[in-house]
Amino acid sequence: YHVLLIDLIEVVKVLFIYIIKMSMSICIFQSMRKILEVRSITTACLQITQIDANDRLSQQQQQVRHMSRIKRRHTVQPFWHAAVTRTLYPENVTKVNEEFLSDVIKEQYEHKSPLAAEPWPRGEWNSKSQRCGLIGKKMGMSTLWKNDGTRMDTTLIHISDNHVIRYVPASDLRKNEFTEHSRRSKNPRGALVVGADSADPRLFTREYYNMFEKAGVMPKKKLTRFLVSDNAILQPGTPLYATHLRPGDFVDVSGYSRDQGFQGVVKRWGFKGGPKAHGSTKFHRKPGCIGSGGEMARVIPGQKMPGHMGMQFRTARGLEVVRVNSQFNCIWLKGPVIGAVGGYLNIYDSGLHHCRYRDPDNHPPFPTHYPAEEAVPHVDWWADGMHNFNDATIVFEEEAGATAK
Amino acid sequence: MLDRHDMITRRKHIDIPEFYVGSVMAVTINDPNATGRSSRFVGICIQRMNRGLKSNFTLRNVLDYQGMEIMYEMYCPVISSIETLRLEKRLDPHLLYLRDARPEYSTFPMDMEPELIAEDAPVPINDVKVKMIDGDWDKSWERQELKGIDLSGLTELQKRMALKRKTPDYVQYDLMKEYRSTLPEEDQEDIYREIAPHYPALVASQRKFRRRKLAGDA
Repeated sequence: YHVLLIDLIEVVKVLFIYIIKMSMSICIFQSMRKILEVRSITTACLQITQIDANDRLSQQQQQVRHMSRIKRRHTVQPFWHAAVTRTLYPENVTKVNEEFLSDVIKEQYEHKSPLAAEPWPRGEWNSKSQRCGLIGKKMGMSTLWKNDGTRMDTTLIHISDNHVIRYVPASDLRKNEFTEHSRRSKNPRGALVVGADSADPRLFTREYYNMFEKAGVMPKKKLTRFLVSDNAILQPGTPLYATHLRPGDFVDVSGYSRDQGFQGVVKRWGFKGGPKAHGSTKFHRKPGCIGSGGEMARVIPGQKMPGHMGMQFRTARGLEVVRVNSQFNCIWLKGPVIGAVGGYLNIYDSGLHHCRYRDPDNHPPFPTHYPAEEAVPHVDWWADGMHNFNDATIVFEEEAGATAK
Repeated sequence: MLDRHDMITRRKHIDIPEFYVGSVMAVTINDPNATGRSSRFVGICIQRMNRGLKSNFTLRNVLDYQGMEIMYEMYCPVISSIETLRLEKRLDPHLLYLRDARPEYSTFPMDMEPELIAEDAPVPINDVKVKMIDGDWDKSWERQELKGIDLSGLTELQKRMALKRKTPDYVQYDLMKEYRSTLPEEDQEDIYREIAPHYPALVASQRKFRRRKLAGDA
């Protein structure tokens, strides 16, 4: 009787979980439907305006809908993205079975790379090219010295396990004003999806796992997209290394800024607050007045108030690559970089005018660096003017004809 | 890890000797603006910060009645030599109070000769109680629990305020504080294992530097 009761409880639990899952999927389906409905309404609006523009009803329907304020953070992924993680239940796999499973997974990926079988053609560099980027992980900051003895604070970034996952031609890119402009231009930009940090396939959903089928690599923890020109297309499965960049190159780095959490108005917006002394009652870090009152009779949207600070996507432009290590696959960038240590960064060739390459004899490895074919000058490759620790102490020569004082 | 690699590589070109806060040292740097393109400074080490590649120490001396402190970054490639002229320890983790002490405690001749001690001898601990100047001090040193200061000339008020700031006795039993300030043994072992392959080369280069110096002196 005792055993039967436990079984019943288990059955009820499973049913309960199933019901919740179904209702959740229904909710998701409904929200998806709502989004699709909104899209269909807008397209319907466009259609109506074309037919009878003078009709008063259609004029009302012509109203363009927009968000009430610009969203600073997008915490919910777009609905067309595959769900990445799945709920992991305790499987109680024995140690021997665990070893067997990891061997099976390794074997699965041993000869999966499509690069050797049907290699794609590689493009030639021209001055209008745009190469693929890299995904790096911020490791921290380090000091290096220049040959004149001055110190340089640098950020160490690790290019961990990057592979190209997918190529999206320009015609297949989602339509927006930028892609339209690009498509009409002489040099339309396609997209390369790059992934970093392989992980155990068992951690992910089947949907997400299937994305990496063509690339022949293990599923990645981090994905991003880089827009490339037609001649810079890379075959899915191509590994990307730190030697994709050379010392002396300039890059743009984007990432998410450090998460400050919920912050008050003084830290978040730089308000002055109130006096610390002189009889100030409970008014040291408050915002004070939030409106002019009177005819306005409301608070203007966009009023600066306490709220979530940080975790925003920012780009730093024109950072110089100062050192590249091909053994450990890492680069040193001059200056600080956005984000916390351990955060992912998108690194790509700088778009700044003075950083662009025009000389056909001096351009970065195109479309990327292939270590098997092309050796890099040094394993630890330094930019010009930087002091390599392997060199002797810096000595300043006496100028010829200088008088001793 | 890469920082440590760089530090070891730099140490192949300069011998950084053993020193502590309270040791008297001489540092020669290559300076493009100095006569002979190099300058030498002798002083007592008042502070030592271990920060990987950014590690630094500050030397203090009084020249022509003017107190002078210079902070040197240990791995800066412009430093051509670091010598310990007098190897000793003091009772405190820093000697910043020498700024408010009588000048004789910070004065060292620029042409000081190195004082040699036996290699296997323990590092001598100097337990001098430094006498302070009569006027206002930059910081209230009496409240910082420093053992190297002669606090006989304090007023009653100063003594009472110093007692107020005294850390309680039970702090010595704070295990988490000790844990936070030290590296666990397992992590230390990892680091030593990483450095171990480079150790013979380092020792050889150190011997080379010392032989060169002795030959130079002779």
